[in-house]
Amino acid sequence: MTTRTARGGHWQPPPGRLSRRTAMLGAGILPFALASCGSDPSISADPDELVMWYWNRSASPELLAQAAEQIPGTDRHVRADVVGTNFDTKLRTSLAGDAYIPDITYINSNNALYFTNEDLFLDLGELGADSVQDDFYEWKWNLGMTPKGRFCFFPLDIGPTGFFYRQDIFDQAGLPSSPEEVGAATTTWEDWIALGVELRGAADSAMVNDAQTVFEGFLNASPERYFDTDDTPLYLQPDSAVRQAWDTTVSAIQADVTARIPRDRGTDQNAAWSSGRTSGNISAAWWAQILQESAPDTAGAWRLADQPVRPGNNGGSFAALPHTCKDPDAALSFLTWINNPQNQALAYEDVQLFPSTPASFDALSYSGEFFGEQDPLEFFSTAAESVPTSFISTWETLIGGSFTFEIGNVETAGKDPEQAWEDALAQAQKVLTKRGVLS
Amino acid sequence: MTTTATPRASASSNTPPTLRSARTTRQRIRRALPLYAAISPFYLLFAVFGLFPILFSIVLSFMDWDGMGEISFVGLAQYQYLLADTRFWNAVGNTFIIWFLSTVPMLFLAMVIAFLLHQNIRFTKFYRVAFFLPNVTSMVAMAIVFGSVFSDTFGLVNSALTALGLDTVPWLSSPWGIKFTIAMMVIWRFTGYNAIIYLAGLQAVPTDLYDSAKVDGASLPQVFFRITIPMMRPIILFTVITSTIGGLSLFTEPQVLLGDSGGAGEAGMTIVLYQYNQAFTQFDFGYGSAIAWALFLIAAVFAVINWRLVSGRGDSVQPRPSRTTTKEARR
Repeated sequence: MTTRTARGGHWQPPPGRLSRRTAMLGAGILPFALASCGSDPSISADPDELVMWYWNRSASPELLAQAAEQIPGTDRHVRADVVGTNFDTKLRTSLAGDAYIPDITYINSNNALYFTNEDLFLDLGELGADSVQDDFYEWKWNLGMTPKGRFCFFPLDIGPTGFFYRQDIFDQAGLPSSPEEVGAATTTWEDWIALGVELRGAADSAMVNDAQTVFEGFLNASPERYFDTDDTPLYLQPDSAVRQAWDTTVSAIQADVTARIPRDRGTDQNAAWSSGRTSGNISAAWWAQILQESAPDTAGAWRLADQPVRPGNNGGSFAALPHTCKDPDAALSFLTWINNPQNQALAYEDVQLFPSTPASFDALSYSGEFFGEQDPLEFFSTAAESVPTSFISTWETLIGGSFTFEIGNVETAGKDPEQAWEDALAQAQKVLTKRGVLS
Repeated sequence: MTTTATPRASASSNTPPTLRSARTTRQRIRRALPLYAAISPFYLLFAVFGLFPILFSIVLSFMDWDGMGEISFVGLAQYQYLLADTRFWNAVGNTFIIWFLSTVPMLFLAMVIAFLLHQNIRFTKFYRVAFFLPNVTSMVAMAIVFGSVFSDTFGLVNSALTALGLDTVPWLSSPWGIKFTIAMMVIWRFTGYNAIIYLAGLQAVPTDLYDSAKVDGASLPQVFFRITIPMMRPIILFTVITSTIGGLSLFTEPQVLLGDSGGAGEAGMTIVLYQYNQAFTQFDFGYGSAIAWALFLIAAVFAVINWRLVSGRGDSVQPRPSRTTTKEARR
């Protein structure tokens, strides 16, 4: 009996020990307790601090430093957090968990992915964003509009497209080689392919690296894409834009003007451009920077010509305010301030974001020689004037891959184009039925 | 302290034995509490970041969820879709082909390397480090190197083939080329790792077995196949199982080499890459979870088959004369 008491007494921990044990338990539980108590969905508890999520080179560090002091015209300030890889997954996770949601978030050109959950974002039109609408390219502004007509995605940069080509190779091949001549010789896709055939014959060089470039180059310049705002699958209609893009691409493949190097083989693509095996690309303004870095030896040899029919747009980001935003008015003030024409010009000089406000170009001048005498700023700002207004649907982001995948099969595996088209349609149908878009 | 202890002691003296044992259990738990607290961080973290996601993925596989909106119940629809999904079965086929192409040569090579390293040669430590180095090399850097070496038009391998007057092989655009290249990456990365494990196993084989084999005049291949391999059976079983798990969950190699879409014709699309593709690029988390559980079933079936194969063969080896003689020789 006494022994048991003594033993019990022995295990009755002295006060110091008890507290240590409690501390230990506490340390283990604390993070979870904190997480579960986080009923405030915002990241920062400071009412004056608006947290913004972005990724590297999507905003000018200089302007962010200013906003970190104070957003002009408000008494709030911005804390900009670089969110690395898997940006979309992280943003979705915070929105799904209703916790740690940023007050302002950048969203890439895949903003259509968020249309199905547009209620999670504020309508910037209601907050008065329309007052600056006239500063922006109209088509870009419209891309920020949801199918319900809410303006949730504020325009950041843009990606007007054109035909990049190697003037030296075109010269050697005895083809038209000045930007004006090339543009004039390729006003239609048929002419563009015909010029490619000449290039293949004279210099054994391809116009572009892969068929996907032609397919997307065509669609990105088309006012009609896969769906309309009522989710009608336009690509199923005869002579749809998607089908035209498909047929054009198939004739480009059959004419052998693509190099058959798909983009998952980036090393090969770069080698093709540096070596002259491929003499061109249809891409956006932002590609100039990439090209300069991946093929520095070809500096001065590249030029820009208008792509067939009309310029398109490829890429360009947006900003959105999640529904939990602490101070929507101040957040919108920040967006309109950082995206005003002067600041977009500054961001271009800082991190090469191509401005979505035409007035920015008054303040900008180009001094490089990568494109010889040609001024890419002038070229792309002119191109941006004629980009058509189009609608990118959420569902396009789910099925577009089936079409580019199948066009790749036609190009690299020699698949029958009609069979490939049928397979792309069938795969799209399966995915859309699964998601409940089609029945 | 005495005031708390005394009533307890008197109470326990009057209570029937069952209650008393309950008391001691409670006391035991109280005593063990600090110990449980000490190991709790792992279990708490595992519960939050391991157990919960695993259980939630079961739930999700019966749901439709895009990762941020509403979660809706769809019953077995995800699994029905999976059974009819040719892309999924293509991924299953790819995974097995790549697994076979990589595991068989890799384990054989590893065994040979381990056997050679176990001999009395110079610089053994240097070789050990050298063979293990690929295992700790950055995968992304590796993918760039492999992408350049096996590049269709500008790669080293194809340049070498051309120099030898042979036809070039479209390593990164033909179905078999892609699978072969991925298998090469796996072999390159894990041969040394398995060789080190085998080497450890070899060092545990008693040397008197080898000595008596030498006395009996056994040749080197005889020693290898009659002594080394049978003695190494448990180690081989271990490497086969780890390679199977690794092979079935192959993801990083194809992803860094070919991107999220698995290369031309989806020839490099593995099960886990497809799962990642569906969940994190298509934001179809319900379907991604269903794929994960399908993979779990496949892996479970395969683990059983593997176990049967490797341990079954072991039983038949037991009564071999060579083995009994060595045993006798040992005595």
